[in-house]
Amino acid sequence: MTALARSHSRRAARASRRVGVVHKVHRFRLLRRLSLRARVTLTFALGGLLMSALLAGATLYLTRQNLLQKREAAALDEVFDNAQQASGYLKDDPVNDIDLIVDNLKSPNDFIVHYLNPIRAAQNEWRPSAAGEFDENDVPLKLLSEVNGGESALIRTVDKDTGPVLIIGVPLKEFTGVQYYERIQLDDIQDTLRSLTYILVAAAASTAGIGAFVGTWAARRTVRPLGDVAAAAEAIAGGRLDTRLVPPADRDLASLAASFNEMAGALQERVERDARFASEVSHELRSPLMTLTASVAVLETRMDELPERAQTAVELLSSDLQRFKQLVEDLLEISRFDVGTARLELEDLNLVEFTRQAVSRASAEPVPIIYDPSMESIVILADKRRLARVLYNLVENATKYGDGTTCVELLDLGDSVQIAVEDRGPGVPIEERIVIFDRFSRGGAGGRRGSDSGVGLGLSLVTEHVHLHGGRVWVEDRADGQSGARFIVELPLDPEVGLDRQLERVVGGQP
Amino acid sequence: MGTRILTVEDDERIRTAVKLALEDEGWVVDEASSGEEALQSFNRHASDVVLIDIMLPGIDGFEVCRSIRRTSDVPIIMVTARADTHDVVAGLEAGADDYLTKPFAPKELSARIRALLRRVRSTDPNMPRLVFGELEIAPEEGVVRKNGEELHLTKTEFRLLVELAQNPGRVLSREALLERVWGYGYFGDGRLVDVHVRRLRTKVEGDAANPRHVVTVRGLGYKLQG
Repeated sequence: MTALARSHSRRAARASRRVGVVHKVHRFRLLRRLSLRARVTLTFALGGLLMSALLAGATLYLTRQNLLQKREAAALDEVFDNAQQASGYLKDDPVNDIDLIVDNLKSPNDFIVHYLNPIRAAQNEWRPSAAGEFDENDVPLKLLSEVNGGESALIRTVDKDTGPVLIIGVPLKEFTGVQYYERIQLDDIQDTLRSLTYILVAAAASTAGIGAFVGTWAARRTVRPLGDVAAAAEAIAGGRLDTRLVPPADRDLASLAASFNEMAGALQERVERDARFASEVSHELRSPLMTLTASVAVLETRMDELPERAQTAVELLSSDLQRFKQLVEDLLEISRFDVGTARLELEDLNLVEFTRQAVSRASAEPVPIIYDPSMESIVILADKRRLARVLYNLVENATKYGDGTTCVELLDLGDSVQIAVEDRGPGVPIEERIVIFDRFSRGGAGGRRGSDSGVGLGLSLVTEHVHLHGGRVWVEDRADGQSGARFIVELPLDPEVGLDRQLERVVGGQP
Repeated sequence: MGTRILTVEDDERIRTAVKLALEDEGWVVDEASSGEEALQSFNRHASDVVLIDIMLPGIDGFEVCRSIRRTSDVPIIMVTARADTHDVVAGLEAGADDYLTKPFAPKELSARIRALLRRVRSTDPNMPRLVFGELEIAPEEGVVRKNGEELHLTKTEFRLLVELAQNPGRVLSREALLERVWGYGYFGDGRLVDVHVRRLRTKVEGDAANPRHVVTVRGLGYKLQG
């Protein structure tokens, strides 16, 4: 096969697969729109209905056949008896004899006697029984022709006045064409069958109802473990990688739980391996960085002795070494979050004092700190190093991208506090307000990136530190309506409380 | 003669670079590439400050620190590649006075060394002697006695005790102690204070688990009482 032909056939195969899929989607679109639970319920209900309808149909058919057969047999016996009797009256004169039959024959059913009147040139004549409800017009031609042929015959038909009937014809005397017809009412059978039908329809309906009920119950039972799986998967997606399912007693579900746990284990191992790798790389980088730092320091103390070009090179070396060290530090910090070894070292911090210290360390220029005097005594339980890093990164961010920090505002929310850092930059466009907290995101528009930019881990570390404290961080426009961004960190007074609430927010999102 | 600093580091490049930088800062630097070598060198020269890397082949940094502490109260700075709780606390418990995380700036190391040396030499000769129950602190002699018997405190432990003793019954915050004893600012590592208080207690208290003199005031700091 040439390459071209192969590619053709492959494309054809792909196309047919695609068609197959489309077809399937079409066929099940209606069902797919329903929930699994609704689908199982519906299937059970329809299944129940179908089964009971089949059973009912079969029952009805067989009962009808059986009843009719018995009735026919009985009717034939009776009619043959009557015909026998009638034959007894037939002597010589058909006309008189037929009167005898009609007058004397005792039958519970209507009958009619046919003969060829010799007086009237063998014309067809009919003599109905006394009741006279059954006349020659009621005898179907088909039956008539069969009896004319000399055979006894029966036919089942529906009379427009009396309902279903059985008509039996018996030839009595061929030469004078005497035939005996009797009509037997079948409406009692009809009644029996009708009530049976009602009962069976009711049974089918209730079977469908029970099916639906059982279906709902089964579906709920089936879906419950799926709910557990969904909750566990959500927990894993939320970063709690050690989440596992409790293996249920049921064998089918146990294998599902086992597969799920296996997958979660593999995922956890992989994530941890990646994070450990980052951690080990960061550690390994510390040794060469130590040599570089000390060597650059030696060069810097001899700056005056160096030619101008070398001075510039040393300056570049020094500032990028600083950046490099920060990057390694940040990577190490973030890998601790990834491995899950990040732990809070909690201590009581006076919010105002802490903020003043942290901001003055982060900013070369003085930054006004705005707060209500009543907040002087607020003490929060927090990790000093991490929280200082949060403020440092926010102030650094404001300096780099926001043209400097204009103010830091503290707000008391009762059981939590807000620390807001404002700048005088262009602000953050709404579509970037989530992604700027992602790793290695530096905001779009390129222009925000200065020559001395960070590495884009700053804000993501802010998020990690704040989440570890059970708090949250977001960005909005400046409160006073002027151009600029306002980064807000909300922290609970006690991280325990905040973490509980964080969990509630996650779990609360599920039905 | 200048102040002698013993640098214990197994990575030759780091050792050389740090030695160059420290010499620029005006210190006399002795080098050791292993724990064994460090102990020999320490016994040969009278080092004023010892800088020990924790990760050493053979005898590790903690053990070197403990060995030196058995015979000397020389200021010791631990150098660690990991700022994780375990390494730092273990180093301080082995007897180190301070710690630095790689990669540190030589200027920062010099500042730490100077702070330690200042601590060693800053006892005010005019200070009166202080008595807390069975404890007697004689700042002018640089000596602490318990029931008349002299206790072996490191310079840092002594300085910590004196700072607390100068403010009897008053609570000193961790930040205040970090600043007065170590010369750190607001963001110094509070674990330095905690571990040194713990070590101090094992020496001055009858029962270190139930201290009577060096008392923790939850959420505020430490105080010394009689």
